[in-house]
Amino acid sequence: MNALRLLPRRIFAFVARDFRLFVSYRMQFFLRIVSVLAVVTTLFFISKIFAGFTDPQFSQWRDPLATWLTGLAVLNYFMTGFSSLANSIRQEQMQGTLESVLLTPINLPTVIVASSAWDFLETTFFSFLYLFFGRVFFGVQYRGSFLLAFLFLILTTVVLSCLGILSASFAMVFKRGDPFGIFIGAGSALFSGVFFPTQLLNTYAGPKLGSVSLILPTTHGLDGIRQVLIEGHGLPEVAEPLFTLLGFLVVLLPFSLWVFSRAVRRAKREGSLIQY
Amino acid sequence: MGLAISIQNLSKTYPVPFRRVRAFFRRPVKEPVEALRDVSFEVHTGEIFGLIGRNGAGKTTLTKIVATLVQPTTGSVAVRGHDSVRDDEHVRREVGLSTAEERSFYWRLTSEQNLLFFARLHGLSDRAAKQTIKDLFAKLELEEVARRRFGELSTGNKQRLAVARAMLSAPPVLLLDEPTRSLDPLAAQRMREMIRSLAQQDPPITILFTSHNLAEVETLCERVAIISRGHIRAIDTPTNLRALTSGSEVVHITVSDGEKVSFTRQHNDERLDEELRKLQSRGAKIIDIETERPTLLDVLERYETEDEPQKGTEGTQTKYY
Repeated sequence: MNALRLLPRRIFAFVARDFRLFVSYRMQFFLRIVSVLAVVTTLFFISKIFAGFTDPQFSQWRDPLATWLTGLAVLNYFMTGFSSLANSIRQEQMQGTLESVLLTPINLPTVIVASSAWDFLETTFFSFLYLFFGRVFFGVQYRGSFLLAFLFLILTTVVLSCLGILSASFAMVFKRGDPFGIFIGAGSALFSGVFFPTQLLNTYAGPKLGSVSLILPTTHGLDGIRQVLIEGHGLPEVAEPLFTLLGFLVVLLPFSLWVFSRAVRRAKREGSLIQY
Repeated sequence: MGLAISIQNLSKTYPVPFRRVRAFFRRPVKEPVEALRDVSFEVHTGEIFGLIGRNGAGKTTLTKIVATLVQPTTGSVAVRGHDSVRDDEHVRREVGLSTAEERSFYWRLTSEQNLLFFARLHGLSDRAAKQTIKDLFAKLELEEVARRRFGELSTGNKQRLAVARAMLSAPPVLLLDEPTRSLDPLAAQRMREMIRSLAQQDPPITILFTSHNLAEVETLCERVAIISRGHIRAIDTPTNLRALTSGSEVVHITVSDGEKVSFTRQHNDERLDEELRKLQSRGAKIIDIETERPTLLDVLERYETEDEPQKGTEGTQTKYY
């Protein structure tokens, strides 16, 4: 109960710390804004090559720029959900500050939520920037319920955060060489339909490789968000990806929390909390 | 006086990660490191308890187990009645740890920002945290570096900041691992005075103190434990520990004509009185009397020599941390 009462204060502590660290590297912030603008501009020109040539069976790809931008913005968010905790643990191990943090009376769920909080705020800003630049500079139109799209975003991010907790558990024990990172990181861009329709995988790589996309939560999250924002679908039409994501969540959440608590216990047993 | 820390039959062996896997693939396998062996002692509320031993003797492991950062292999540690494994969150509220490890701070944040972060994690409100930090900076003479980045601080100031962080939540138990190691002599003296005053305040703070400065341990600590190769060899007051090595002391008397008289006497025997009387009966004017008593270093050396593995048998011995 006390931990719950103190949760906002502790999350704020991490956010304030990470904000301070972030602004201590001012140049990086401006360069990232410039790089987002450069990517959006590049995609705009590439999309012009495909103008009028899109296959009508790929209903989400009638305006490739809008599809890419939603894909990139959302993938950016998903990747944060997946990688922020592991990155934060690695960072603290490298800096040697993990012990000092774990020496304070905070519990593990608080560490998990609080240490990712700043990353989500930062990513929200940069993901929004993709959509904002597309809308303001290149006239990209979004439709449908933003609330429903937001629900998909949150749900997929939480599912990926569960994988992120598993990834952080690997970082805690093995320090480097996290198989989840490789699978989700490389797999999402290739198999989730960020840059091209997933149906093409079936056509060109065969149904076996094509089915890989189905076991990635990002595929279902991205599909749901695009159905809402690009095709203007409502809740009944997106029920399938929604329930698939809920299924992932029910399995992964308790499992990942259990694995993480085991990993911390193991690191304490080996005395390797500070090692990287 | 209540118990602040109770350590019972504590052992810690650092396991070798993936030992069986390495053995399966016929890769060389290291021996597990036995850092602590059957350690038991108690520290009373308000006591300054010293822990001395060579590098790798197990002091840091013991301190980290009390701080809940390392889990024991067997045995138990209780801080003010709370078990360090089962009730670790509660123990962390009761304990403040200061180590000489410089890497435990955020180098790009200022001293104040660093402490504010940790104070918030301890659950302090911003107002309370800022006031506490201000008071601690005044107490530890850190006001001038409050707005300096941690990375720009001198080693001594970094060390003082670590002590300040340990005291942020006003814990009833402080674990101070070499708190004066990098301080100049005057700053070290002030730190010792502060440590002493903490144990005397109301309510008193219990301090588990480790240091390689044995003179400092002698002056500060009410009781001292000598740890050698993970094993507690002796626990007693510094005076009693010194007496363990030898009950005798060497006395040097200098008289006015430059003559020096040296002799060995047992503690509380009449030899000193006799010698002084002899000299005075000769009309000699006594200028100086010096005594050489055994120190904690002598005691430490004695145990280390006893525990040293026999030459030629090292390969078959358990390796100690």
